[in-house]
Amino acid sequence: MTAQVLTAAELALLTAVQDELVPAARSMPAAGALGAARAVDGYLAARPELRRAVLGALRAVDAAAGARPFAALGRNQRLAALRRVEADAPYDFHELVRQTYNAYYTHPQVQAKLGIDRPPQPRGYELPPFDPQRTARVRGMGKLWRDA
Amino acid sequence: MASPAFDSDVLIVGSGAAGAAAAWSLSRGGLRVTCLEQGRWIDPSEYAHARPDYELARQTTFAKNPNTRRWPEDYPVHTGGSVIEPLMVNAVGGSTVHWSGHFPRMRPSDFRVRSLDGAADDWPLTYWDLEPFYDLNDANVGVSGLAGDPGNPPRSPRQTPPLAFDAACEAYARGLEKLGWHWWPSDNALISAPFGQGRQPCNACGPCDIGCPIGAMSSAHVTYWPRALAQGVTLVTHARVEQITVDRAGRATGALYYDADGARRHHSAAVVVLAANGVGTPRLLLNSVSAQFPHGLANNAGVVGTNLMFHPVAFVSGVFPQVVNAQRGPIGGLMNCQEFYETDTSRGFVRGFELQLSRNVGPLSTATGALQGELAPWGGGHHAFVQSRYAHTVTITTMLEDLPEAENRVTLDPDLTDDHGIPAPRTAYRLGQNSERMLGFAIERARELLDAAGASEILVDPLVSEAGWHLMGTCRMGADPARSVVDQWGRAHECPNLFVIDGSTFTTSAAVNPTSTIQAIALRCADWLGRNFAEAAA
Repeated sequence: MTAQVLTAAELALLTAVQDELVPAARSMPAAGALGAARAVDGYLAARPELRRAVLGALRAVDAAAGARPFAALGRNQRLAALRRVEADAPYDFHELVRQTYNAYYTHPQVQAKLGIDRPPQPRGYELPPFDPQRTARVRGMGKLWRDA
Repeated sequence: MASPAFDSDVLIVGSGAAGAAAAWSLSRGGLRVTCLEQGRWIDPSEYAHARPDYELARQTTFAKNPNTRRWPEDYPVHTGGSVIEPLMVNAVGGSTVHWSGHFPRMRPSDFRVRSLDGAADDWPLTYWDLEPFYDLNDANVGVSGLAGDPGNPPRSPRQTPPLAFDAACEAYARGLEKLGWHWWPSDNALISAPFGQGRQPCNACGPCDIGCPIGAMSSAHVTYWPRALAQGVTLVTHARVEQITVDRAGRATGALYYDADGARRHHSAAVVVLAANGVGTPRLLLNSVSAQFPHGLANNAGVVGTNLMFHPVAFVSGVFPQVVNAQRGPIGGLMNCQEFYETDTSRGFVRGFELQLSRNVGPLSTATGALQGELAPWGGGHHAFVQSRYAHTVTITTMLEDLPEAENRVTLDPDLTDDHGIPAPRTAYRLGQNSERMLGFAIERARELLDAAGASEILVDPLVSEAGWHLMGTCRMGADPARSVVDQWGRAHECPNLFVIDGSTFTTSAAVNPTSTIQAIALRCADWLGRNFAEAAA
């Protein structure tokens, strides 16, 4: 399935970038490998106002990578390129990071790893009731308000 | 009593907390009431709570900032000169559609700030004038809580019991008990047991701030509007008001508005009531320029739009070693500490603040900065950062009294307009010295509380920019027409058949969430107007 906004090259670059932004760790998958780039492409389609920043950040990463593609760089070189872009274009870069987090933490696979087995509704949660006896000390404080 | 020469006896602009309560009250006595609302009914199917990506709604469809949300029915707000962003919802029910539902009352001293503490102004009414309307409002909407708080005057039994008491509440209470400070389960406009028709008690799902799909929150569209409509009120949605019109004598005659099809219409009324919030109401008055009111309606004294107050807020979050799962359960101010509410000048400021327990958010909002005010770090440390905070954090919201200052204000932006070409509002707001000193003190007390509760790490967002939930003071109530816009009944000093009944009437802000006071004021003003309609309309 083709992307809605991003080109194939941009989608590949975003995937590589996302694998550095949210890398794999223990049981947690990396964002790029999870397909977060596709989700971000969907956000850009739905909210055109995001495109300038996100696409700008991708172009800046591509430029910071120099002659070689970002994905072909070694790990340290990738991180250095991303840090340069963050320093030079913090707004655009942080929008890219935000949209990556949006895609990552709304993915059911990630939620399951964090112990979230369902959305908040319709079941909600069972929580213990309040016991009014807990207020005994405070009730004994006497009147704390000024009459006026 | 009726005014057959007009389309309606009373025209209300805005269907939120205040407009809904007034519509219900005024229509009980047989007045013909119409309400113009620029928004629409939110269909319960629009809520995101049953979807895995529900947290995204905070940034998109149910963002609290209209400049982010960008619904067609929203208007833009130029906030370049403001350290706090005004937040609102334009829909039937207004900003009660998605809110925390925290529902404390003001204290008696809040109405006598000048007399007691030598600052700001006294209100032209007292707590005791308002008390019967607080009670009436609570009975109408349904409140959870517990009577008997020594921090406030006695009040009637709450309609439903206090909300649940989970590990986050335990941590908060543990700290306060250790310190010996005041705390109490707060009143909330959120039912914990059956109350009202078509509503379910809260099932602790969590994200109240993106709406309540089960009607547990006592939002105006589920409390007052069904009853007001049953009493014959006409509610016109997608109706964006451009200006309030006046006759040669300077009396309000109705409103010019754009309907759902974009047609410009006039609705005439014997009395006009504004309930468009602390930004929307002054905007509308400033846009209502006439020969009689060249600087905006009811603004010949130049007070409209001045004295904008928010409640400056810091989020102070404690990270606990154990799981507290504070993302479950109502998100708002479940419990209050009012240990520092009244003035103690040895602290270096006048007036005071609350330390509210707020519950927390899911992993996405944790990563995007809901707690620490900035994005979680990317790269190798990302997972450890998020996973040490998500489900492990309890947040204290500092709720400060903000003193009125004329320089903090709403004006019209010279360039920005809404989709109908109507000039948009611009806010200018900076923190006053008293608020700055109080904020620093409050943050330290919140730290002390979380330390006592056993937090292993404390995160501070020292001034939350997206905290302009409470829009107050821009059409202030007072006895002096040179220093206020309306009297104690909400009646404009300069225009006797124009009333303002929303948060813009607040003379001072107190240090509590304002909605129960907004609705009590709306009910009191509407009660007076209903009993004195002939005189007001004459």
